Amino acid sequence: MDLRLSEEERLIRDTAAQFVAKELLSREGAFLKQKEPFVPPGDPRRRMLDDEIEKTLVEKAKRIGLWALELPESAGGSSVGQVARVLIYREFGRTALPFEPPPIPAVVATSRYAGELASGELSLTLAFDETHKTGDLSGIRAVYRRKAGAYELSSDGIDVIHPDADLYLLPAVEEGGGAVGLFLLEKNAPGVRIAGVGDLTDDQTVARLTLRACALPSDHRVGVGADVEAIIALEQFRIAGRSLGIAMRCLERSLEHAKDRVTFGRPLSSRQAVQWMLADLAVDLRTSTWLTLEAAWKADRGMPYFYEAALAKKRAARMAFQAADAAIQIHGGYGVAKEFPFESFYRSTRLMRLVYGREAEIDRKLGERLAESGS
Amino acid sequence: MDFCLSTEEETLRRQVEIFVREEILPLEPLFDRAPDIFEGSRWKSRAKLSRDPEVQRYIAVMEGLKKKAEAADIWHLDVPKKYGGREVSNVAMIAATEELEKASVPFELGNHVSTILYACKGEQVERFLLPCIRGEKTACFALTEPGAGSDPSMMAATATPDGDDFVINGTKMFPTFGDVADFVQVFARLPGSKGREGVTCLLVDTGHPGYRVVRSVETIAGSEPCELVFDNCRIPKTQILGEAGKGWELNQAWLGARRFQVGIRCHGTAQRVLRRVEELLRGKTSERERWSASLGHFRGELKALRGITYHGSWKADQGLDVRFEAACVKLFATELLHQVVDFAMEAIGPASFRKEHAIARAFRYARPRRIVEGASEIQRHMIQRALFREGIACMELQ
Repeated sequence: MDLRLSEEERLIRDTAAQFVAKELLSREGAFLKQKEPFVPPGDPRRRMLDDEIEKTLVEKAKRIGLWALELPESAGGSSVGQVARVLIYREFGRTALPFEPPPIPAVVATSRYAGELASGELSLTLAFDETHKTGDLSGIRAVYRRKAGAYELSSDGIDVIHPDADLYLLPAVEEGGGAVGLFLLEKNAPGVRIAGVGDLTDDQTVARLTLRACALPSDHRVGVGADVEAIIALEQFRIAGRSLGIAMRCLERSLEHAKDRVTFGRPLSSRQAVQWMLADLAVDLRTSTWLTLEAAWKADRGMPYFYEAALAKKRAARMAFQAADAAIQIHGGYGVAKEFPFESFYRSTRLMRLVYGREAEIDRKLGERLAESGS
Repeated sequence: MDFCLSTEEETLRRQVEIFVREEILPLEPLFDRAPDIFEGSRWKSRAKLSRDPEVQRYIAVMEGLKKKAEAADIWHLDVPKKYGGREVSNVAMIAATEELEKASVPFELGNHVSTILYACKGEQVERFLLPCIRGEKTACFALTEPGAGSDPSMMAATATPDGDDFVINGTKMFPTFGDVADFVQVFARLPGSKGREGVTCLLVDTGHPGYRVVRSVETIAGSEPCELVFDNCRIPKTQILGEAGKGWELNQAWLGARRFQVGIRCHGTAQRVLRRVEELLRGKTSERERWSASLGHFRGELKALRGITYHGSWKADQGLDVRFEAACVKLFATELLHQVVDFAMEAIGPASFRKEHAIARAFRYARPRRIVEGASEIQRHMIQRALFREGIACMELQ
């Protein structure tokens, strides 16, 4: 047993930490305070990263290997393991600036889009809406059928986060009940309809995607059910890693604020109500950290890890939500002010708890699995 | 980063795993009907005094297990090599205890030796330490007082130097086995000292003049800790454990690594409670469905407990300061066990409340865990103190 970071892991972690400190945290304050109105009117307004800044950041991230983390090097990616990936997202989680290496699942590596995806010229979104409630394949309603060497997809409508992406990765089940397939479709393909674009509470955009006899060439089927499950698990790792970073930031800032802020003649840090909030948070953060790292390590070792990934995500996302909640409470009015990052964390972690398996669903599955195995 | 046990640790774990499967698990049905005294580890000293043939029969079974464990060389695992033990790592001890905890039989590998006794020097070794290792003597631990627990500054008992002796005066509450142990590790302060300064640990034979057991106190968990009075109890200074005035540090060092054992024991007890719930719900589909999410939730929490327990003991093996980790584990483990037992009763209903029911036993066993060896509130206090002192650095990965 050696729970120290290896040299390589440390290097990756430090690279990500430096990037986040130098490029993201330095811009966070201005981003949070921006007053210029942004496009779609919302209540409150949606905040977006400036296009030019985003381009610069993508270039810089690519240069140091913090881009296309899942793609093999042959396809232009960095191909890091899950422990490393968790460590990277843990660093990116520390800032409320909406920038992180987007998940580009390895299944697209052999597609014709791989190069452009790896370079950031094309963007991809995971249209995994139907897996969110259960965190598995059981909710998939989008249907595909084979038709003369090609596929035809149809769906009554699913919600897609980040609908302005160029490509959608969508799981669908074979007509008549059958195997799950994973499809890569272009936003502009015939039969693809995007409507009802709106905002999510966490500043991301969402739209309704419907597919009417959407014909796809056979090479657009990039994976099967097992690939979909693996992508869900990897997304759970991404969320867990991010959650750890969010909680680190919330805890760090809350400790500082509690020391500085004096009420009724004594600093907040001397108040047991505040001390205990932070003590409980620290314990939760610690347990979630090791749960996540062990699950990721199992994935890297080729051991079964799906349940562990789901558990890590469930626990870490909930913990991060509570961390944001505690940070808001300790910061008082500043906590809910948009110029501080905590309300933003609070909103984004609430969604993280809802995607790729709701908490009760993950608990229930773990409970049932134990009943089957009798252990 | 590597979560695998080392080859040596893995070999030991498998050895214990096999021992548990072959020797201990078959005894579970027998111990389900055992007298109350076989809950936890108190049978080790107290049951031996019993004349009840039933109790003696169980003791004989335990002695048989002990001989087999000795033969398999898994008896003195954490005892230093110079005293004839295997001196295995903290992680190996956790792995061994995890295996042992799979059975509900209250059998432990090794005689109970409180770690502070390894501070014994000179003739103390032959008189106090070795007999404990060999199981010939038992010791009790007298720290808490009617008005002082985890806070040393409240300690009132005094150890006054007088020539080559120290004279102890004071009252100690709750030493388990105070009435049956052979000697007591008592903490008292040097006259005029304050706070943690001056706290001194002395080894006192329980028959010594001036040592008196006032009464024993029955508790929810069946243990019967005592109230002790030291009334001009004169002890030669050769019986000071460690250094005079350095007793508090000694006590802290003892608590450190032990907390991880508490962690893995709570983990094991909770696992067994959940397993019992699973068994009782088997075949009852609607009941089973009603509780499966809770079962899954607690299994997940136990995994989390296991993770920080191994991490903490690994860190202890690196020779690093683990007070922060120890406090996290003690707090999380005991609170979680309590929640698991509470849930188990909810799931099984009043049937689980019969005194001899495994869940009822766990219910009684779990409650004092949140108090002894530092209440949850003390743990939270230690955690927040470390957080405010060291900042976020104490949460960073090594």
